[in-house]
Order: sequence, then C-alpha cells, then structure tokens
Amino acid sequence: MEKPEKLMVDGKRLDGRGPEELRPLKIQAGVLKRADGSAYIEMGNNKVLAAVYGPRELHPRHLQQPDTAVLRCKYNMAPFSVDDRKRPGPDRRSVEISKVIREAFEPVVFTKLYPRSGIDVFMEVLQADAGTRTAAINAAAVALADAGIPMRDLVSAVSVGKVEGTIVLDLIKEEDQYGTTDMPVAMLPRKKVITLLQMDGHLTQDEFERALALAMRGCEQIYEAQKAALKAKYATKPEEE
Amino acid sequence: MMLHVQNRELVIPGQLLAEGSYLLYGGVFKEGKCVYSSVVGLAEVRGQDIRVIPLQGCYIPKRGDFVIGVVVDTHSSGWILDLNSPYAGNLFVSGLLDRKVDLDREDISQYLKVGDAVAAEVVDVDERMRVMLEASGPGMGKVTGGKLVEIAPTKIPRVIGKKGSMSTMIQSTSGCRLRAGQNGRIMIWGDDTRMVRAVVEALLTIEREAHTSGLTDRVHQFLERIKSGGE
Repeated sequence: MEKPEKLMVDGKRLDGRGPEELRPLKIQAGVLKRADGSAYIEMGNNKVLAAVYGPRELHPRHLQQPDTAVLRCKYNMAPFSVDDRKRPGPDRRSVEISKVIREAFEPVVFTKLYPRSGIDVFMEVLQADAGTRTAAINAAAVALADAGIPMRDLVSAVSVGKVEGTIVLDLIKEEDQYGTTDMPVAMLPRKKVITLLQMDGHLTQDEFERALALAMRGCEQIYEAQKAALKAKYATKPEEE
Repeated sequence: MMLHVQNRELVIPGQLLAEGSYLLYGGVFKEGKCVYSSVVGLAEVRGQDIRVIPLQGCYIPKRGDFVIGVVVDTHSSGWILDLNSPYAGNLFVSGLLDRKVDLDREDISQYLKVGDAVAAEVVDVDERMRVMLEASGPGMGKVTGGKLVEIAPTKIPRVIGKKGSMSTMIQSTSGCRLRAGQNGRIMIWGDDTRMVRAVVEALLTIEREAHTSGLTDRVHQFLERIKSGGE
C-alpha cells in the first residue's frame, strides 16, 4: 500500500466521507445455526463474524470458578483478511486484542448468575480495513445478546483519530497507517461508561476531549444499528400459510 | 411509578423498562430506581410484577422443575445425568428407588445404564449449582419406549400452554401421550407412528413460531389434517 499524497482534500476524506461520518454499517444477528448466538458485521470494508457458545460446562476443569462464569474471548484474523497473507494462528497482537475485548465485556455480562460455567466468544475477522477490534466488539455484543446471555447493556465501539490535523471518526486503513493518531473506544451506550480505550500516537488534552466526544456520538449511531439488528431478528414474523 | 414499555413488547439488554418500586422476576435488574431488561425478550408487566420472558438461552436448573435427563456416567451410589444445561444432575439410588439400598449387597447397574433417559424432579440446587435429582414417584424414573424430542428450553412454556392448553390439545387430538421437561426435552408415546411423527413436526413448529399468535389453533388444524389422512 502506497502512501497517498494527501489524506484529506477540502475537508473530505479518501473515501469521500466528512471527518465526523461513520462508514456504511451493516449488522445481522443470528447468522450461525450451530452457535448459541451469532452476529455478522460490516463496517466499511471490515467484515467480522462473531459466535457465542454458552454458558456451558467449562473445560479444562481447573479454569472453573466456583462463584462465577468465566468469559473467554478469542479474536482471530483470517490469513486472507489483509493484503499480505497473515500467518495463521494466535500472535502477540491477537492475544492482546482478545484480552482487551474480554475486559471490555466483563463488566457488562452477569457472570455471577452462572457459577462454574464458561461463556466463549469467538470473533473472526474475514476482511480487515482498520478498526477491526471495534467491529469485533460490536458484533460480539450483538452475538451475546442473541445467545440470551444476561447483560447490563450492549457494548458499542468505534475508533477516532487525528489525520493531518483533523479529528476524524472511524478511520480507514490509509488513515490508520499514515495518520497521526488512532484511538479505539468502546463504551456502554446507556451509561456512557468507557470499557476500552487504547491510543496509538498522541493527542493534546483538548484534542483528546474532542475525539472522545466524537467517539461517543459515533457509538450512539452504532448502538442504534445494534438495536435494530436484534429487533429485526426477533420481530414477529408474518404468519405462515 | 413510571412504565416505559408496553406489555409484551420486544426489549433488548440494557433497555429501560420502568421506574419505581416494582417486584422483579427473571430477565430484569435494577439500578437505583430504574428497572432494566438484561436479555432479549418480551417484557411482561402485571401490576407490581415485572419480568422479561427470554427468547433465547440455555436451561438453568431450578428447584421443583420436571426434567428429562440422560445418564452420562455412573458411580458407586448413583448416576450423573446430562440435563441439556451447563450443569449436570446427580441422582442417587435411593432417589430412584425411594428406599434404603445396601450398596454392598445390591448391584445398582441393573437399574440404569449410560444412555438411558430418566424422568426426574430437581429437588435441590445449591449456590455452586450442584443439582440433586429425585426420580421416584409415579411417572418418574427410567423412560421406556417413546420418542425423545429436543427443542429450545425457552420454548417449553409455549409447548405446555396456558394452564396446559397446548399440551392437552396435542394429546387429545393426536392420541399420543406427551411429557415436557423444563430442560427442553419432550417425550412422546403413541401407538400410531404417523401421529407420533406429526406431533414431532408440531413441536418443531411451536419452537419456530412460539412468539406468533393463534398458534394453538394452527397446530390443532395441522394435527387434524394429518389425522384425517392428509400429508
């Protein structure tokens, strides 16, 4: 991938969006038959599939907790999801992302209701274009709700960043790579509590506050799409003949 | 007291249902004065009571539930039963035979084998979710003959119907006997294999369309049609 000459022209981005616009968003709940809950999301060119299994008996047994369920998250990128083939299997990056995603969901899921059991969340990135961890979180939240797992709230996530001096929402690959800053944010849309915040690059305090406010507005839009996806699956189907 | 949803409205986790002093049942939680849903389901409000009927989810054993378990392991004084749940059930010989058993004299393997289906009642669930079962009493114990159907446990109340209306209707129309365990397993006994198959089909229909209205009538028509020789 070559560095484009300019990432922003006349306030428009490479893909024609304004700085505070999300990429096209598509979420579908309950796409996998054999999973207890599942979801598929497309955020621009990101395509992520999430599957939830459980609560179920946890193996290996020594991981069981006598008083709560154990939440296990696995983020994985398909070898064909990026331009240069990714070596399959877990690596430093995906282990870290799995961990931060788990920590983003732990305050939300009522794990105390299911002692000694395990809840498994698998997120598979089929196509990547920056912000895959946020897309994975959005899909996993819908999949958890689809599995009927009790939760305090959904989790919505989006990335913000700074590109050529402008604070922008939902970065694409070029902006992520050649921009100044990339900051993924996940939050509980109802209470506006942040459960994940990472930053690559730097922002001044003022820029950070503006970026965070922008991320919150982005999350609200994503939350609406997540809600719509769940309601679409369970809306009363027309009576069959 | 303020209500933010209609009765039987579809709600999602974290959605505000009501404010004020309500009595909470399943699928809801409280923060301060506000009551929220914790699952995807249908909100149900009856006076002071508020709950959400979940549309998805696994079976969690509860005291007093009737369940159908499958033996997965035996030990010296009883059996371990799979309950279609994250938690296995424990059944002791005395809970099956309802008498004192001298384990030195009696070989308990004659009563149940791995793979047997057992109709049982949950008598206790402790805080570590260890489940105690009892299978004495009429209609309990090892299940013989019949057909075992597994559907989503959340759909079982629909199979039983209001005051048993659905299951009574299925039994009287088809001539088959029905026993629905809370864990999503249903036993069907009948002499006419065609009708047994029709009941299986009816149960799967109920699972698919549990949230639609007029379901009892449609299932009734379907069974009548099969009974009079239709396809």
